[in-house]
Parts: sequence; structure tokens; C-alpha cells
Amino acid sequence: MAYSFPEEVLEHVFSFLSSEKDRNAVSLVCKSWYEMERWCRRRIFVGNCYAVNPKIMIRRFPEVKSVELKGKPHFADFNLVPEGWGGYAYPWIVEIARGYPWLEEIRLKRMVVTDESLELISKSFKNFKVLVLSSCEGFSTDGLAAIAANCRNLRVLELRECEVEDLSGHWLSHFPDSFTSLESLNMGCLNSEVSFSALERLVARSPNLKTLRLNRAVPLEKLPTLLQLAPQLVELGTGSYSAEIRSDLCSSLLEAFSRCKNLKGLSGFWDVVPAYLPAFYSMCPRLTFLNLSYATTQSPDLTKIVSQCHNLQRLWVLDYIEDTGLNALSMSCKDLQELRVFPSDPFVADANVLLTEQGLVSVSEGCPKLQSVLYFCRQFSNSALTTIAKNRPNLTTFRLCILEPRAPDYLTFEPLDSGFGSIVQHCKNLRRLSLSGLLTDRVFQHIGTHAKKLDMLSIAFAGDSDLGLHYVLSGCESLRKLEIRDCPFGDKALLANADKLETMRSLWMSSCAVSFGACKVLGQKMPGLNVEVIDERENLDSIPHNSPVEKLYIYRTVAGERFDMPHFVRTMGKDNRRFK
Amino acid sequence: MDVTLGLLSNSPAGDDGGGGVPSGGSTTAKSILTVSKEDNMNMVMSVEVTSSYPVDENLDDLELGLGLSIGGGVGGSGGGLKSKAVVAGPCWSQYARILTAKDFPSLVSKPNSSSSSSSVNIPNSSTSGTKRTAADSISPPNGTSVVGWPPVSKAHRIPSLANHTKSQTEELVSIPEQNKIKNKTNGIKDYCSERNGISFKKYRSVKVNMDGAPIGRKVDLNAHTSYETLARTLEEMFWGRRSTTEAMGSSRLLDGTSEFVLTYEDKDGDCMLVGDVPWQMFLTSVNRLRIMKNSESSELSRNQHETQN
Repeated sequence: MAYSFPEEVLEHVFSFLSSEKDRNAVSLVCKSWYEMERWCRRRIFVGNCYAVNPKIMIRRFPEVKSVELKGKPHFADFNLVPEGWGGYAYPWIVEIARGYPWLEEIRLKRMVVTDESLELISKSFKNFKVLVLSSCEGFSTDGLAAIAANCRNLRVLELRECEVEDLSGHWLSHFPDSFTSLESLNMGCLNSEVSFSALERLVARSPNLKTLRLNRAVPLEKLPTLLQLAPQLVELGTGSYSAEIRSDLCSSLLEAFSRCKNLKGLSGFWDVVPAYLPAFYSMCPRLTFLNLSYATTQSPDLTKIVSQCHNLQRLWVLDYIEDTGLNALSMSCKDLQELRVFPSDPFVADANVLLTEQGLVSVSEGCPKLQSVLYFCRQFSNSALTTIAKNRPNLTTFRLCILEPRAPDYLTFEPLDSGFGSIVQHCKNLRRLSLSGLLTDRVFQHIGTHAKKLDMLSIAFAGDSDLGLHYVLSGCESLRKLEIRDCPFGDKALLANADKLETMRSLWMSSCAVSFGACKVLGQKMPGLNVEVIDERENLDSIPHNSPVEKLYIYRTVAGERFDMPHFVRTMGKDNRRFK
Repeated sequence: MDVTLGLLSNSPAGDDGGGGVPSGGSTTAKSILTVSKEDNMNMVMSVEVTSSYPVDENLDDLELGLGLSIGGGVGGSGGGLKSKAVVAGPCWSQYARILTAKDFPSLVSKPNSSSSSSSVNIPNSSTSGTKRTAADSISPPNGTSVVGWPPVSKAHRIPSLANHTKSQTEELVSIPEQNKIKNKTNGIKDYCSERNGISFKKYRSVKVNMDGAPIGRKVDLNAHTSYETLARTLEEMFWGRRSTTEAMGSSRLLDGTSEFVLTYEDKDGDCMLVGDVPWQMFLTSVNRLRIMKNSESSELSRNQHETQN
């Protein structure tokens, strides 16, 4: 074809493509499209910071405005990844600072971010607008002070579930008086008190502030003041929701809430004193997101709340809501899309609340739009699972955690194979699945056969043999993330499906039966994979090859093996002098 | 001595007759686990997987394709691998039990990372019936803890659940009263969180202000295990080191001989005298410290006295 569209036209067309997948597809069409696309890609998402070298990224995509990186494996959230494993943001920040001076957004998840990194960010990007740190650690409030002081055009500062060294609350006061562009502030995970007057003044001079998530240290008495200053808020996270019962506080809270006509999302609610709950009842009909997972409120109050939230789309709540509350939810919240029920007392064997499988069954019956479920409970049955599957074939995320490992169907004492089998059979668009309870290889056979769109699978204390793993690796065509703990899966299945591993982002296996020898072989034969053995035992070199490793993390990469590992992490099968 | 455990048997579809047998139902899978003792007391399992599932997938026929040759002669029919199965299966205890490294704690050195040693101790409760007790299953047979289970991230572990009872619905209970209730039951909760070994606040520095001193200090509570050490540190901070003879005595802040008294502000914003509650309870409720002049503190104790009535 002699003629083609002028570049400008194509660029314009490409500008409508926001999805990464689409852009990647476009860049494969031909060389000129590849060239054009790479110059106009503005957002990059790197799901594993060790999969690619930042220099490569910058070379290929020179004009990026937004970078998102993820570091540690998901199981790091549950203390399974030892400290010092890696996931350092600094090397990336250094390169990005050099390569993208006009960068506007940085989002990091599960990475180690130091104060140096934050300072570098604050000084390197003239037009920096968005900083979101999720489940990150390694920095202190000094780093935040640098961001506050230097990022003149900052719009979003969100710290989600980070571990921050709280040196002082003064960091907030570093935002200059001329700074008025703030749109979103999430400091919920911070422990220390910020100067309230500084916070007040900041809120007062931020007319575009839409999201404000306070930390627990902000007392309830201060909330009305803040709300008066920001009635335009769309998302609010309260601080501590507790105070002495005072009628004047009650009424000022009520009044302040009622002025917030745009409020759609509420969270926070630490230390709830029930007397103050009615203050936000008037907001309930407008709410689309409600996070009560820190609220130790009991079922009657919770039931009352959810019954009024007719437009609720996402609910995060503790198991205090009990089956009765979930039943009320199923009757009142027909728009519900996502439900997360967290355990109030996960380490106690006996149930302390009346939350059973019935609650989830009710919600699956009553909420036609339910797509995403995270549910912690103490008992489940195959029949309940099958009912849920038949009720809600539109489920895309199903994460069930029965607190007791290997708990069987409590009615029949059978494994829960058939129940989860029903889930994958009926829910054809299932993308994320977490298993629990007593499970044999059978369930993996079901998964391999039916879960063709499954993207992420989490397995714990399940299966009988390598066949289980083999079913999953050979059958799940879309699988990208697999995380396994305490299962009898060994070398055979892994080696037989080595090629599959290159089509996935990562595989985590801990307390399984994969041997050092197999890891080495895998690492040698698959240059596109880093096979990392994480093992903290002493005298590792004297452990025989056919002994199982403690933990294993395999990921595909074009960056080669990494060299920032602690002594207990080894990349197997490369020319590694440390471990033959 | 070899002990062969025949686990799964050919059973017809679906009908297992209960009892927690992790059978494969209509499959004809056979897993034979051979437990053999080797020289240096390493318990090693030979896993021989011979199976013919309805989908005709026979793992033995699969080409490993990578020229796998794991060291050590493998006894028995092809495909057997020696690997240590590390799964403790209490559910199989009626039939067989896979011995794992956990049964021989001396053979495996403990991991030395602090983050992976967060231990969970489940108080063993007994439940009746044929069902396995929940407590047995959450903690493996020898009572060791399961790291990272249940999978609740730090952010969603509730640090201070005041009550198991429903007393939180008693809305008209005033805050000082609630404190009293909390303090009683917090003891239980502190027990749990202590046993969990999970620290909810990684850095436990709190501010300390002294009446009359313009500059406040910070003290790391994690570095102390008792009121004594804390009080001594504070004394050193604000007054400097004492002479050796004096240093033998208890802290003057605590024993009432100083003109100052040590107080703290708790989570609810109330001002309390330091030393009344057990140390661990104090740790979870303290927000900041204040070294108050004696004259003011008498008013404080009067207030406390009033609210407690």
C-alpha cells in the first residue's frame, strides 16, 4: 500500500486508546505504527519492577507522563516475604528523573521507598501532580515534608496502607501558603497527629479538594470544622469516630454532614461510638462506597446503616455485620457490585459472630450486579458455593477465605472441590479466584478445565499431588499470577510446564515441595525467567539438591537477574557463583 | 524401615461416606507415599504419582523435556522423585500422616527474619463431635504457628477491639465508663495481640512534654519494658543523669517524691496517671506523655476520682 494516513492523523487516532493492551497490540502492527505509538504513549504500567530495566522503558517511550510500578509479590502483605527481599524504588526514580523531566504521576505498590526517593521526586519533576503509594514502606514523614514543600502543582497525595516512620506531624505544614491545587489527600495510615490548624488552613485553601482521608489521630470534634471548609468533598475518611457524648457535637456533625451534598464515599470510623453514627444517616442514600472495616460496630447498627444505602456499590465491612446484616444488604442495595467482609477476630478458632455462608448466599441472591467478593468466614459448604455460582454467573472476583485451613464442607465433611468447581463452571468471566478449605486435586482439574479467563489464582493448604499444579498450569490459558503456599506441589508439574511460566507475570510457591535442583534446572533452561529461591536457613550450600526450598518466586523478565538481593535470595541457574 | 501409606483408593463417584477423607471421587488416582528414613535422620518422602484421570492426562507420560536429572538414585518405577513434602495434614490423621520437617524441629533451623516470625498462637479450644476441632486445624499438631494465615493484611488487623460482648451498643455509657470497660477487656485483647506478635505500630515514639519546658522530646516506647525504665529515661532526658547513689533508687517520677508527676494522654484524649494499668495495656493506649507539676496533678486526681464515681 503506497499511501497511508499522515502521522498526525494516526497519532490522533491512537490518542483515544487508553488501554495498555490496545496500545501494545497497535505497536505490533508494523514498524511505523510501532514508532508512532511509542512517541505518543503517555502512561506506563510495570507489574513487576524487576521484569524490565527502567532504561529500556525510557528508551522506548520517551514522552511518558505517568508511571506505575509494583514491587513485592502479593504474599508480602501476609508477612511471607522476608524483609530486605527487594522492590526498591530508588533506582527507578533515579532513571525516571533523568529520562522524564515532565513526568506528572507516579504510582507505586509494595515497594521500598526511601526519603531520598521522595526528595528526588519532589525536586525532579517541575509539573509533578500525582503521588500514590500503596502498601509501601521505608520512608518517614520527612520524605512527605519534602513532597509538600517542593511540589508546587501537586494534586494527589495518597498513602494507602503504608508503613511510615512517623517522626512528626509537621510535614503537613510544609505545604506553602501559595499551594492551592490539592484535589486528593489520603493520610489514613499515618499515626501521628498533624497540626490541626495547618490541616484546616490547607483544606480551606484547596477549593478543588474532592478526597480527604484523615488519620485516626484527628479527633471527631474537629470533623465538623473540616467539613464546613470542604462541603464539596466527594470522598471522606473520618478520623477517630469517638468522643464523649455531647449534644452540641452531635448537632454540629449532623449539620456539617448534611452540607456535603456531593459526598459519595465514606471510610475511616476508627473507635466508633455508636451514638454518633446517626450523624451521617442523611448521607446514606447518596453513598456509593462505604468502608466500615475499621468500625467495630455491631450488627444492629450496621444493619440500620446498610438498609439506608440504596445506591451502594461497594461495601467493606467487618464480620460484625453477620448474616442478618447481609440479608438486609441483599434487600436494600440492589446496585451492589463489590462486597468485602473482613474478620474481626481472625486468630480465634471459635466463631465470635453469627456470620456464615448464608450471608454471602443472601447477597448473591439479592444483588444482581454483584461482581467482586472477598469473604472471610468460618464455615462453608459445597451447596452454598453452587448456589452462589448459579445465582451470580457474572462474578469476576471470588476470594473466599475459610479461616481454618483445610476445613471441609461443614455439612457433608467432603472436600469443597465440587463447590469451587461450580464457581468456575458458571462464572465464565472469572478473573480472580482465591481458594480455601479442604481441596483435592479434583478442584484443580475443574479450574484447569473451566477457568479460561482466570488471571490470578491464590491457593493455600490444598491439593494432593503435582497433578493439581499441572492442571492449573496446563489448563488456565489466561493465567498470569499464581501464588501458592503449603501445597504438596513439586518439581514434576513445574518442569513440565516451564514454557507456561514465560507467559505469566509471576509464580510464588512457599512451603511446597519444589527442590533446589529443579529450580536450578529451570533457571538454566529458561533464560527469560528469574527463578529466585528465598531461603533463610543457615548452611544453604550444604542442603542437598533434592531438598525442597522454603520459598520460590519465578517471574519473567527482560532485565536479566537482579543484583540487589539479600543473602537469603538467590537466582538459580544463572552463572551464579554463590550457589552451584 | 519403609512404611507405605496407601491413601487414595478407587472409589465410585461422589460417594465417600463422609469422614473428611480427601478422596478424589470418581478418579482413579493413586498416590503412594513412601516414608523412608535415611542416614542422617532426614525424613524424605518418595512421591510416586501414577494416575489416569478421565481427561487421559498421565503425568508419567509427560515429557519433562528439560533433561531433568535430579541427583540421587530413585527407587521404584519411573517418575518417582524424592522430595520433602512439607504439608502437615491433620485431616488425614485417621488414615495416614505425612511427617514433615515440623515434626523434627531440630533438623530445620529457624528462619531468622523478624517479619516472618510473627507467630500466631491459637488457644486450643475443644469442640465436640466428629468434626475436627477448629483449633487443631488452625495450628499444626505440634502447636506451632502458621505465618501469614489467615491472609489479612496489616491494615485490616483491628488493633483494639474493645469488646467481645455487645456492650458497645450501650450508647449511653459515658466515655470514662467505656474506658473502664475497655481497660478490663483490653487485657484479653492485648493478650491476643501480644501472642500474635504483630506490632500495629512499627515505630512507637511518643511525644513527651514537661510543664515549664519549652521544647518537647520524643521517647521510643519499644525500647522499654516497664514503667521503671521509661521513667528513668525521661528523668535523664529532662534532668540529666543522677548520681550513682541516687541511681539505685526507684524513679522519683513514679514514687511521688518529685515535684513532678508523670501522666499520659490516652487514645480517648483523657489524662491519666502513669502506672495504674499493666504495662502492655499502657502501651496500646498511650498517645503522648506529659510530665505535670504536682500542683496540677492533684486536680487531675480529683477529676479522675469524680468520674469514677
